[in-house]
Order: sequence, then structure tokens, then C-alpha cells
Amino acid sequence: MHDNIVIIGGGIAGMEAAKALLALGHTPILIESAPTLGGHVGRWHKLFPDLTSARELVARLRSEIVGANIFLGTQVISMNRLADGYSLKLSNGIVINASALLISTGFKLFEADRKEEYGYGVYDRVITNADLEDWFSGADDARIPQQPQTVGFVHCVGSRDLKACNGQCSKVCCATAIKQAIEIKERFPFARVYCFYMDLRLFGKKYEDFYVNAQRDYAVQFIRGRVSEVSETIDGHLQVKAEDTLSGKPLKMQLDLLVLMAGVVRNTAVQELTSMAGLETDSDGFLRSRDNEYAVVESGQPGIFYAGACTGPKTVPETIAEARSAALSIHAYLKTL
Amino acid sequence: MTERFNDSFHPFVIPFLAGMAFVITVCLIKAVVVVFQMESGERRRYLLSLLKPNIIVKNIYDIIVDCLLHVRLWKRNRMLGFMHSSIAFGWFMIILLGHIQVLLYCPDRISTFYYPIFFDWFIEGGQHTLISILLDLFLYVILAGIALAIVKRFYSRLFGMRRTTRPTLLNVIGLYSLWAIFPLRFIAEQCARSGNLTLAPWWAYSIALCVFMCVLPFSRYLHIPAEMMLVTMRNAHITISRPGKGIARVQTDSCPNCGVCIDACPMNADPANLKDSTVYLTRQIRRHNDRRVGQISDKCMLCGKCTSVCQVGVDGPKLRILARAARKYNIGPDFSNVRPDVPKSSGKILYFGGCMSQLTPLIGRSIESVLKKSGVEYKWMDRDGGLCCGRPLHTAGRLKEARELVLRNQEAILASGAHTLLVSCPICYREFKERYVLPGISVIHYADFMIELIQSGSIGLKEKSDICYVYHDPCELGRGCGMYETPRRLIAQAAGIAEAPKNRTESVCCGGSLGSLSLDFAHREKITRASLQNLYDSGADAIATACPLCQATFSRYSDRPVKDLAQIIDEQTVAVIDNSRRRETGCDIEGATLAKIGN
Repeated sequence: MHDNIVIIGGGIAGMEAAKALLALGHTPILIESAPTLGGHVGRWHKLFPDLTSARELVARLRSEIVGANIFLGTQVISMNRLADGYSLKLSNGIVINASALLISTGFKLFEADRKEEYGYGVYDRVITNADLEDWFSGADDARIPQQPQTVGFVHCVGSRDLKACNGQCSKVCCATAIKQAIEIKERFPFARVYCFYMDLRLFGKKYEDFYVNAQRDYAVQFIRGRVSEVSETIDGHLQVKAEDTLSGKPLKMQLDLLVLMAGVVRNTAVQELTSMAGLETDSDGFLRSRDNEYAVVESGQPGIFYAGACTGPKTVPETIAEARSAALSIHAYLKTL
Repeated sequence: MTERFNDSFHPFVIPFLAGMAFVITVCLIKAVVVVFQMESGERRRYLLSLLKPNIIVKNIYDIIVDCLLHVRLWKRNRMLGFMHSSIAFGWFMIILLGHIQVLLYCPDRISTFYYPIFFDWFIEGGQHTLISILLDLFLYVILAGIALAIVKRFYSRLFGMRRTTRPTLLNVIGLYSLWAIFPLRFIAEQCARSGNLTLAPWWAYSIALCVFMCVLPFSRYLHIPAEMMLVTMRNAHITISRPGKGIARVQTDSCPNCGVCIDACPMNADPANLKDSTVYLTRQIRRHNDRRVGQISDKCMLCGKCTSVCQVGVDGPKLRILARAARKYNIGPDFSNVRPDVPKSSGKILYFGGCMSQLTPLIGRSIESVLKKSGVEYKWMDRDGGLCCGRPLHTAGRLKEARELVLRNQEAILASGAHTLLVSCPICYREFKERYVLPGISVIHYADFMIELIQSGSIGLKEKSDICYVYHDPCELGRGCGMYETPRRLIAQAAGIAEAPKNRTESVCCGGSLGSLSLDFAHREKITRASLQNLYDSGADAIATACPLCQATFSRYSDRPVKDLAQIIDEQTVAVIDNSRRRETGCDIEGATLAKIGN
């Protein structure tokens, strides 16, 4: 019992950390509130930049953590600080005394209907990036027409937007939009695809190639300017107003489908948990690391560690790297007890 | 009752006489200047109004009720009401009764007009008449008022005021001399009555009067004569038109610096904006501090709450729009080629959603749904984008440009042939009401429209929803257009309703107002959160409002749903299936404000 490690959140961060801890000789306890493991990535279709299958990644991770104790559909109800650890009460009635905790509760997708001017939930042909991934994975979606002629992507929906109470960049949506635009073009080669962006932030490995490909090989058109408003015509098309800020001209175009790149925001569902644990929030609303340069996986509390998007928007490789780093830090921490 | 001296003069009356001569001269000059600054038509109208018997009666009544008895202040705050009316009315009665006393007991001295002021010095044995007892009574009333004033100066919280103004030096001199006048009069009278004819209190009393009257035209006490003039101007229906001139000048001079507007101002959710209330605007206008006047005018959200709580009726928003209008711009928008594309809608309702309805599409969609359910024939004027109503330009002080937009819209709406203009945005609604001339077309807000539809049976109500809404009065609809009850009646028919502690005329601006030209986002957030807290205090499950801007602003931070009235009504109503019934009731509606009902 002395070396109990509890991982809260069974997305790829929690799973990868569990896998690394198993390899280090521990038996972590993984708690996930949803009925399945995998988190957001489990819902995704393909990952950039190499378009590998997200489901395969999740399935492989799942198969590698069979040795861990996994509680699905379970939440932490209360948490108490002990002299040398934490006592957690779970929603299934189990009480665990843990020496170390790993918070890997991830993020929440921005609720796109809060930007009412884009018409999500109002107009029939407006969907989000997550809806599109579901559709790519085979789910039915009546909002997506049989043969769309024109498709628009709106970047930064709820990101870098003070009016949406979310000032920071969501980091992954630029590359996701390009990836989804390419996938749309692959399915509908004759559709015209437009991306409305304010900045393109293609910092990662091969992202720039991705962007060049989209323009050169798939003829995706990039328009620098935010969409100001969306309305619906009588025949059910969408009418989008935007400004092309490079040519300085207002634009008005009809689209068959509009995809909103909902951003990454803090996971408000775990607010109670983090306040019970005495964890602080950073100025961007995400959890505050002990040191944003040097100790991202450590919290201000002894024995509590972070991995993944709970401290801010992260790509998949960053999340995996952080999970391993957190596992090593926990291993080292337990030795000091 | 006998005169103490043969001589009816003593040198100590000189300060009083000098002060009196000074204050009368300065105030007369100011009044003449104000009248000459008015536009010739208005000047004629004003001067003629002063001769009309019915307006004279109204002027006298209003002056007694507003300037002497402070009835409005009594209604708002009893302590402040007592304090102000005891001093104002008490002083007035002392002057009046003093003159009656002279008239009754030494009528040959009535032309010596300092006699009533220093009666006990010149006349011996006057203290046992009824008038003298009344005079003493009113003096005690004033002394009680002054005691309250002293307490209020140092503990304003006892009077329910969280914040009050910091007086300037001249105001402090005026204040202390005013406080001194009545205790000194009391001491002097008591001395003289007991036969002690020391001169010191009489000199001090006269000097205090002199100091007060010399300071009056240059301090906030100018509000005493200015407010009386403002009452007469208001009764002559004179409107503000030129900055710093005419009635605008009288309004700034009428501000008593009481500071009621400081606590009322929604911007003061952030202490950084404490010095931007209307009381500071009038102060800076009087000082001709154009830089600060510009800053204060630009920052304000023009919600109009200061005006609704103001005891003398200073119109803060209008004064600010005038200050903004005084600014010169080198370039302006050119609307000469813009023509709004308004569909032909002869015999139909024309619906104007406004710019904001493009950003909050749910409102337009709900209104359209209700229109369809009712079977009314309509056209959506600006579904595909239209011209702005002109109010943002108007509030920014670009009056000429706003006028041009108004004229273009007006022309197009008249040409459409519609009989009714239905408006969903209160910002547009107010502009249509105040600035548009649309003969033959009734401009109607959708709350009025929907209540008519429900009452006439054109749409049916579902079972009442369990949700309890708190209604937020949008500034432009409530204080702007005076519509408070209809939205509440509508909600009450469809769901539960609760009231926020500050509502109706005291409703707190949502912070999203387009009236402000300089408030930044962080400051607005604090205002919005304070406004939301007021609504949360009602304990309601959800917030209802009737303005797209309020809705968008609140949704940003609210922890509970925010809905427009139109959405609630759309959710809670159904189409009436019985067509014959609809035709039947359609006639009733036609007789009222509405339109032909098709089937």
C-alpha cells in the first residue's frame, strides 16, 4: 500500500504513464470517469503529420497496460491529505491510500455553440472538428451533405479569443484543420475547400510540409481573416461573411459545409478535484506547473504530478513524452519516501 | 414690540447686502447669457412659456416639489430627503415668514429688506407671536438638517451612500459657511432676546451669509438658482442641442454634486472608473477641462442610469454625446452610393433584425418561427444584411453621418409599402422611435407584438415551463424606451419569473454597451460580472433579456443559461391549428396595432 500510485484520467497521457510505471516495476491504479479508455484521441480518426490511425494507438496502449488496476466509469469523490500521501474515496466506494498521484485529466473542447455568430446548433450545415472526426471514423452525420461543393474551415474558434474567455492558442488546431482539409479533399476531390485563419502556427515536425502539400497537391485555399458572421439561405446553404485581410476586401461566399475548429480549453469537470488537492490554476486557466520551463510535470504539492493537456494544449508526441517524464519523476519521488 | 434703535441701520448688515447684491447680479448675468445662447426658435418658445398661465402654475408647483421639498429624493432616500428639504424648505419658510413678520409688526420697514434677516437685533420683544414661534420651529428644523449634513460629510455610509464626491476648495468654503449661517443666527437671536446686545454673533452671521453668497455662483451651490431655471426650461420642452450652451449649461450648473450617480454607475464595479460618473462630468465641464470632459464622455456606456437616479434630471448621456459631437474628424464614411435593398412588402409586416441579429442568429430564427406559427405575412428586411439603424454613429457623436443613414433607411422602408415595422433589437428600436419619421408605419417591438399574438389567440401557449427566469432590463429598452412591464408579462405567461434586487429603472448595464468608445475588454468583464451577480441574487435558474447585445455579453461569463425573450416565447408557444378561429380572431388584431392575418 505504501507505494500506491493513482493516475486520474485515462487518456493517452494516463495510459502511457501507466505503461511506463509498469515497466519500472510499479502497479499503478488508473481511474477514468468515462466507460472507456482513450480520451479525446480515442475519438479521433487519424493523427498528423503521418496520418496514422488514432484508434490503433489507443488500442496498442490499452493492450500494454493490462497489468494495471483500471477503474472505468469512476470518479474521485473526495481527497484527504495524509502525512505521507493522499487518501482518495472513489465513486464505487473504494478508498485508496496513495503515495503519489498523477493528474492526467486533459482538456475540454470549446463548446462551439457559445460562438453563436458561427451558427453551431442553429444552422444545419455547421459542424465541429470533433464531429468531422466522428464522421471520418464512420459515424453517420446528417449535417454533412452527400457531395459538398464547397467546404469552409474556421480556425481558432474559442482560441485566442478574449470574448470567448480563452486567450491562449490551442496549438493543435492549425495542423488539424490542414489534416481535415486534406482528408475532405481525398473524399470529395471536386470540392473547393477554404480555410479561414488569423495566423497559421505550423511549428512541429513536418507540419510545414503538410501545409505546402495542402496548397500544392490538394488546392486548399487559405484566406487570412476571421469569419464575422454566418447565415442560412432559404435553400439551406450557408452564407459566410469574412474579410480577406491580405487583399483588404470583404468576402461573402456560399458554402455547403462549415467546420469549426473548436479550441482546447481547461477541463472544468475536474475543478472540484483540483481544489480538493490544493492545486493552483495558471493565468491561462490550466493547472499551474511548479515551473513552466523546468518542471512542467510537477505540481506545487508533494507527490502530485501532471501529464498532458491538463497544463495546457499539447500535441500527441508532447503528451506521450510528458507521460514518460512524469512516470520517471514518480519513480524517483517514491524512492525518497 | 418696539424698535430698539432710532436708526434702522448698523454696519454689520453691509457684508450681507454686498453678498446679496453680488449673487443677484452674477446669477442674472448668467441667466441672460444662457437665454441668449439658445437657438432663436427655442428662445422664443422658452420666453413665451414663462407667460402662459398653465405653465406658470406648473413651474411653481415643480419648483416647490423638486427644489424645496425634494420629493424625488425623499422617495429614494429618506435621510437625504429630510436633510435637503429641511434646509431648502426651512430656509425658504424663514425668508417668507420673516417678511410676513415685518409686514405685520413694522410695515413701514418692509422696504428695508435686510430687516427680516436681522429682525431680533432691530426689534425688541418679538418672540412670543405665532409667527415668531413658527420661525423658531423652522430654524430648529434647519439645525437638525445641518446636523445630519455634518454627520453625512464624515459617515456617508450611514445614509446608504457607499461613495460620495470629494469637494473642491470653493465647495468646502461654501459648505462650511452654509453650516455656520444657522447656528450663528440662532446664537445671535438668543443673545438679543435675552437683552445681550453683543455685536460679535451678528457680524459673524452676516459675514457667513456674505461668504456663502459670494461663493455660490462658483460652487455647486449654483444648483439652487440653476435648478429652478431648469424646471422652467423642462416645462417649456427645451431639448439639449449645443454643448455647454443653453439648457446644457443649465443642466451642468444644476448638478448639486450629491454623488448619487457614483453608486448608481455600473462602471464603478471597477474602482478605476470612479471618477467618470456624471457628477465629475458636470464638474469638469464647469472647469472647462476639455481633456477630462473628452475622456469621461468617451468612456461612458450611455446606459442612462445616472439620469434615472438624478434628483435634478441632469441628462448625462446627452451631455456626453454632445461632447463627442464637438470633436472634428477629417474623414467620415460615405453613404452616398449605399441603398438598402428592402423587399416589397405591401400590406405586410416588415421585420428588421439589425446588425446584432447576424451575430445572435437564434433571436431572428425564433422571431421568424413565431411569425410563421401565427400565420402573419411578413418580410425580413435585412436577412441578407442591411444598413445599420444609425444608433452606433449617433452615440459616437457622428450626428451628421447617423442622419444620413437614417434618411436612407427611412426612404427604403417607406417605399416598401409595409404597414408595420417589427424590431427585435432595442438599440435599433430606440433609434427608430427617436429619430425616424415613418408616417403610416407603426414601429413595434416584438414584445408588444408577441403579447398581442398571444392575447388574440393567434398563437397558443404550451403548459408553463418549470424554469424560473430573471428578467434583465436592457438599458435601451427600459430606460431608453420606457418598456418594463410587457417583457415581464410575456415571461410570466410562459415560465416562472423572479426579480433581481436592482431592476427596472435601476437595472445594471451588462457591460457590452456600444455606447462606450474607450472601455477595454478587461474593464467590461468586471462590469458584466457585477451585473450578473445582481441577476444571480434573484435566485433564478436562467436569465432572460430582450437585447442581443446583453445576451451575447452575459453568455460569455454566465454560469446559467441566458436566453432572449423571443427564444422563450418560441419554445413555449404552438401554432393554432383551427384556421377558422384564427380568421375570427384575426379581425380583433387588425383592429388593434397589428396586421392582416392570412391563413
